[in-house]
Amino acid sequence: MQARQQQEHEASLEASISAWIDAEADIRPEDLDTPYGRRVWDTYHLIGDVLRSEDLAIKPSDFLYARISRAIDEEPPIVAPRVPPIRRFARAGVSGLAVAAAVAAVAWVAMPYFTTGDQVVMHAQLQAAPEAEGLYDYVAAHHDITGVGPVRQVSFEPGGGSR
Amino acid sequence: MNHPLHDCRPRQLLAPRAGRALVAAALAGSALLAHLPAQAAEPRSPEAIQLLQRMHKAARSLDYAGVYTYQQGNTVLSTQIVHVVDGTGERERVSMLDGQPREYIRHNEITQCLLPDHKVVLKERRDSERFPAVLFDEGLELATHYVLNLHDAAERVAGRKCQVLELEPRDTHRYGYRFCADKETGLPLRAQTVGPEGVLIQIVFNTLQVGSKVAPEALAPAWNTKGWEVVEVPVQEVDLASEGWRIPLPPGYRPLKQVLRPMKAGRQVKQMVVSDGLASMSVFIEAYKESGDQPREAGLMRKGAVSLYRKRIGDHWLTVLGEVPAETVRDLADRTEYVPLAVP
Repeated sequence: MQARQQQEHEASLEASISAWIDAEADIRPEDLDTPYGRRVWDTYHLIGDVLRSEDLAIKPSDFLYARISRAIDEEPPIVAPRVPPIRRFARAGVSGLAVAAAVAAVAWVAMPYFTTGDQVVMHAQLQAAPEAEGLYDYVAAHHDITGVGPVRQVSFEPGGGSR
Repeated sequence: MNHPLHDCRPRQLLAPRAGRALVAAALAGSALLAHLPAQAAEPRSPEAIQLLQRMHKAARSLDYAGVYTYQQGNTVLSTQIVHVVDGTGERERVSMLDGQPREYIRHNEITQCLLPDHKVVLKERRDSERFPAVLFDEGLELATHYVLNLHDAAERVAGRKCQVLELEPRDTHRYGYRFCADKETGLPLRAQTVGPEGVLIQIVFNTLQVGSKVAPEALAPAWNTKGWEVVEVPVQEVDLASEGWRIPLPPGYRPLKQVLRPMKAGRQVKQMVVSDGLASMSVFIEAYKESGDQPREAGLMRKGAVSLYRKRIGDHWLTVLGEVPAETVRDLADRTEYVPLAVP
């Protein structure tokens, strides 16, 4: 539930930043001044610069275009309003596209605040690790190569995957 | 007046042009912010680095035998080691003295793990650096990330005199280390990992014999493995970057190894090991399964000196862990991106 609210907040933040960049709204520095806000701000500027200057751009593959198109299809409420107000349509020239591109390509970016669900703690608290069996395998695999730990614990399970 | 316009613009404008284009093409803007230039190193401490290299070389090239103890929190484990160098290279036998009986017989890069409970020999081909070897590389960059202090006063460990070398981290991306190297041979007699709250891990020799006192017969395994099942552990090299993984490493860390390895229950997991020469972390990447056959907990955890952070990225689970501060594993995970490359 909290995660969903967070997600909505982030989505509207993206739209707001897009508007701020086009000087269509007053910048709210307190909203922008977060790691995520700064990142979006920088990314949108970068995208805008690239779209305006051929020198900065590398010709993307058709695959990328296809992915962007698909993302646009899948995200009508954000990136392709069916009846956009004229004024907004005009600014879609750069920033609208920028948002689309950002949505398409940033889809896989690690965003701890809403892609990983409710369990993620916003300001990650240090939890006492429960004796989670599965996690032990990772520690063993790490020590297996680095040899730091209680010397070479082998994760071995008869009939398991190592055969 | 810290207006965001002034705060963000210059950084962007100052970004190298080629870098911008590349980053923009990949649409991975945040990667740019990840790398701050390494701070200028103070005058290097050649003597300390030389000692580290001597310690490392001693561990690989000397004949020695002894028992050492690993200690972390409430865990204490003792291990017997015999290391002999002959005409064919390095031979080593490592026996776990606590817990389940287990032996590791190594001849150069081939390691056989003997599991008497299962009558199984696990055979693995790999190069790895273990105690008493301490370095993952030449150690030439260490002075950039640690302050090295050689102590003049000798200490005594396992009945031998040793010289203390301290490495204090210059930033928060790693812990400190404290070694005591045998005066005579250079072999590390004690290795400690030191966090802000004190010693986190300690590995220390209790007994040690060096040179001609080491009998090569001691290399023979404790069990006759005739008739045991031999299982080859398949470890395949992979390249995560070419698969679209962008894993920005903290300053000083470099990738050591990238492998595809089997874990329990038939899972295939990709593992990248990174190190700054002393500290190390592993990044694990595997397919995300809704079924939940593994404990599905995202978040930051810490156990003793080991910090672990897990999160989901798209259809993958990312697990980062290592003997480093918790913030370090979390930052690495949070800056990691998956941008599958388009194949033209």
